[in-house]
Amino acid sequence: MMDKPAEQLRPGSAAAPGSASALGAALPFLALLLVGISFPLFGGGYWGLIATRACVYWVLVSGLNLVVGFAGQIAIGWVALLTLGAYTTSVLTAGTVTPPLPPYLALLIAAVVGAIFGLIIGLPALRLRTFYFAITTLGFATIVTQVALAWQSVTGGGVGVPGPILPEPFSSQWGFYYFCFGLAAICTWMTANVAASRFGRALTAIRDAEVAAEASGISKPALLTAVFLFSGAVAAVAGGLFAALQSYITPDAFTLDLSILFFIAILIGGHGSILGPLLGTILLTVLPEFAAPLVAWSTFLYAVLLLVIVLVIPGGIAEILDFRNRRPLESGRAIVPRPDLLPRLFGAPSDPGVLRLEQVALSFGGVHAIDGLDLEIHPAQVHGLIGPNGSGKTTTLNVISGYYAQQSGAVRLNDIALPVLACQRRAHMRIARTFQTPRLVGAASVLENVMIGGTVDGEGTFVESLLSLPRHRRDEVMLRDTAMLALAVVGLERLAPVRADRLQHSELRFTEIARALMLRPAFLLLDEPAAGLSAEEIVRLGALLKAIARGGTGVLLVEHHADLIFDICHHITVLNLGRMLAAGTPAEIRSHREVVSAYLGG
Amino acid sequence: MIESIVSYGLAVGCIYALIGITYNVMFSASRVFSFTSGTLGMLGGVLGSLFIARMGMPVAAGFLLALAAGALFGIVTEIVAVRPVLKNLEQHLYVLSTLALALMIQQLTAIEWSTEPQPFPRLLNVARGGFDQQFWLPMLACIVVVVGLELLYRHTLVGRAFLAIAEDNYAARALGLPERRLRMASYALAGVIGALAGFAGGEMLLAFFANAPMLTFYGFVPVALGGMGNNRGAVIAGLLLGLFEQVANFLVGGIFASVAVFTVFIIVLLARPEGLAGAAVQRRV
Amino acid sequence: MPISGADALLDVAGLSAGYGKIGVLHGIDMTVGAGEVVALLGPNGAGKTTLLRALSGLLAWSGSIRFAGRDFAGASPRDAVRAGLAHVIEGHRVFTQLTVLDNLLLAAYDLPRGERAARVEEVLELFPEIAAKRHGRAVALSGGQQQILAVAQGLVRRPRLLMLDEPSAGLSPVLVDRVLVVVRRLREAGTAVLLVEQLIEKALALADRVYALARGAIVLEAGTGEADLPHRLEHAYFANTNRHP
Repeated sequence: MMDKPAEQLRPGSAAAPGSASALGAALPFLALLLVGISFPLFGGGYWGLIATRACVYWVLVSGLNLVVGFAGQIAIGWVALLTLGAYTTSVLTAGTVTPPLPPYLALLIAAVVGAIFGLIIGLPALRLRTFYFAITTLGFATIVTQVALAWQSVTGGGVGVPGPILPEPFSSQWGFYYFCFGLAAICTWMTANVAASRFGRALTAIRDAEVAAEASGISKPALLTAVFLFSGAVAAVAGGLFAALQSYITPDAFTLDLSILFFIAILIGGHGSILGPLLGTILLTVLPEFAAPLVAWSTFLYAVLLLVIVLVIPGGIAEILDFRNRRPLESGRAIVPRPDLLPRLFGAPSDPGVLRLEQVALSFGGVHAIDGLDLEIHPAQVHGLIGPNGSGKTTTLNVISGYYAQQSGAVRLNDIALPVLACQRRAHMRIARTFQTPRLVGAASVLENVMIGGTVDGEGTFVESLLSLPRHRRDEVMLRDTAMLALAVVGLERLAPVRADRLQHSELRFTEIARALMLRPAFLLLDEPAAGLSAEEIVRLGALLKAIARGGTGVLLVEHHADLIFDICHHITVLNLGRMLAAGTPAEIRSHREVVSAYLGG
Repeated sequence: MIESIVSYGLAVGCIYALIGITYNVMFSASRVFSFTSGTLGMLGGVLGSLFIARMGMPVAAGFLLALAAGALFGIVTEIVAVRPVLKNLEQHLYVLSTLALALMIQQLTAIEWSTEPQPFPRLLNVARGGFDQQFWLPMLACIVVVVGLELLYRHTLVGRAFLAIAEDNYAARALGLPERRLRMASYALAGVIGALAGFAGGEMLLAFFANAPMLTFYGFVPVALGGMGNNRGAVIAGLLLGLFEQVANFLVGGIFASVAVFTVFIIVLLARPEGLAGAAVQRRV
Repeated sequence: MPISGADALLDVAGLSAGYGKIGVLHGIDMTVGAGEVVALLGPNGAGKTTLLRALSGLLAWSGSIRFAGRDFAGASPRDAVRAGLAHVIEGHRVFTQLTVLDNLLLAAYDLPRGERAARVEEVLELFPEIAAKRHGRAVALSGGQQQILAVAQGLVRRPRLLMLDEPSAGLSPVLVDRVLVVVRRLREAGTAVLLVEQLIEKALALADRVYALARGAIVLEAGTGEADLPHRLEHAYFANTNRHP
């Protein structure tokens, strides 16, 4: 029937394919599938309508889930697309404006219209702050309804327009139910495929660790475009189905309450999950039916539920169902890197050339953060960058990795100037970095976090992932194997399926390094990786970094820990007040009077 | 005709401006925007109608009680929807918690009060017409709030403590200022301002639960265009918005007027996300 | 000379603190006696600022902090100020949109209204350079003057212990000396000072005792009169350098 990449349907459920956990993750979906297929046998006509409505809602919510649950965009007004789809389908089949079109064609056209408007409504997310974007989506929803009310010649205004009627065998109640159920199942399958693809992981990276996502080469505009197009299309199709279900639509069928319902279903279900929002949608569709005297209170109840979830269990149903991540982790875990595995990860060594800074200068509001700095990072060497607080170390690293633009001077790789402020491009150039505070997706597993590092190496497109085509599957196998290898290199492979926010601080640091290694970087930039590590871990970190350099990578190490610096660096540059104070071998720096002074002050 | 466009536009613009100020006062105290700002405006009108028209209280008593209720709801917002989520600002949970709270109150009002707009009592026993009280009451409220806030911020220590917390929360804490209490007081103040907006505008907007989502949006436009936390910008933008809406209303009719407002809003925002008077935020990595 | 725990103004034992999962301080023991000037030195990242934040209640901590005989468990920064512990934070952060006078009045927030003006005047007498600009907004002050204002804010409540976090950062030598003169006068008046500084010579010249902090632990405690101190400090900072083959 349907092929679900079951092993990755829930965050933290990463495991070897075919194992017992894969079946465990698929079980709820199979159960729902079974219930859904056999529903007409035990459900009466009334419940059939409810079930159909749940399916129609889920078609919309499955797409919105990618926007809200995965990409983290607070799009509250998505009912606008339901309205658009409903009216487009109805008007096209009714023949009031054009000659009547067959319903399937009308649905297809509605999908295209929905995709376009999904993009229009969603793209402001790239420019606007969170709250501002939420308000604009609300505005869109109101506008669309108002236009439906006003454009009487097309939409029938307040009088409304009849909905489409599907041809045999889908015109009967149960026939229509199976049609909607089938679409709902397909949407579940497609969005689950995306969730278990590099695109799904990239979306969660944008949501929870945007800065790190950029360093991994993830382009927020491209990804959000794909997601808004898809989400808009399915929402509009849901609109067409909704119109068919209602058999007659008027503008006041598309209330803000409906929009809130869709949104809350995802939040109750939990971020980054497919099963959670699916159960949430079913719950919210069915709830008013059970609480008959409270039907008028349904939106009130939804709001209370939302508040409770936000305050008490932000992870939603998905968190409640995440049994695997309730198992205690072994205490006294040690991180034992295996640098000997590096050649397997990197393959044949290459010569990337020299990374050079020439007279780079950058000021923030009158303060010279970097003041005419020259720096050379050679392959196969560990280059230390030290200096007192405020000397410009992290700023330098940010300029090299493309987050800040220098105001003068150049950063060159092999004499070609690196594009300024293009932090997403660095991953393609095999320049990888870590951050002062580990930036990981807490809700995802360690393995998924590391796989994010290799996003740029995938070849399959978004559509190929949607449909689980061969190239997508090849990408997944490749990324998973590489990530497990990277984790083995840093010594964390036993923690691969564990949710990242359960890890100790030092384990998070090494996870970031594994993620950076996914790029097989020509240059690796590390921002104070030893902070918060024990003495033993610092020793192991040093050995790992030396091994990485031996393999041909040029390592730039920004650090405070003098012992680590003097231990493993081939070359050290000391910064003070944005300028180079001294440069040389560790022995030279160690005895350099001025350096000691700068550190001790005076 | 021009006269009525101008008076209606300025009056409703003052209401929008006041809701914008409500947003700003909450933002200054906590760095977050709350969906409950529009709901406070709605409550001012509904409670005013409830106390004075339905329960028969004298106007002054009903007025004070409505403001007190606004303060209470402001404090509830802070305790229930803002304080618990302040630790996790990057997750933007405050958007959801304040949305949930706002929805709860809106629905409660729709169920317990009415789903249809109810009349708001005439506050001053003066004949209708001319430059009517339904126009100048909101304007008066706006002037009182703007002047009052100036006095508060310039001449009282509490007001200056509010400014300190808005500018540098961490330094304020280190100095020993009672930061939590001051935040609650800010939210109470915001509640009063929101309720005042709804009460003063009651005759124009009527006592209607659906004013809440309308004010949530129209009250935010002055904030977005005038710059976050910028009260003067909010007042100017609010007045311009009110006038623009009325002109659009006159030229293209009610429904397309809201389309026009929204289109202009989104275009300006996309061109200058920080608002016309705001400052761009530098990104820190 | 070391102060015994019994009569110390500030008595810290086994103090640990950090940010989220990152542990920064690991079991700090230290004391500050009444009227003493204690310097806290150490390389960047050692945890000096974290220590001050824990002491004043800006950061959660575990262990034991006793100040003037009071247990500081669960104390907020406001409690600390009321008990007589003032913390002048790093970075000369003053409220730039308010006047110099307002900045000082806010420091006097918890004092009875009648007393506020008097206390503020008292402090302004110590710092004529900002007294002259009392009605101007703090944004018009230079960085150094803002630092002086921040120190002045700390003094409004006549604290028993004043903690200064790198007051010399960004100051010209002249202003650095101004601040340190004030610190000396405070000591004479009986106020204790805990001074975090980068300028080692100046700090040693002023302090009675010194603690060196590195990697979250105290690595040296000495009286400033002791011999060979700069050398011992350097050694303490760069200790634990393991040489690997």
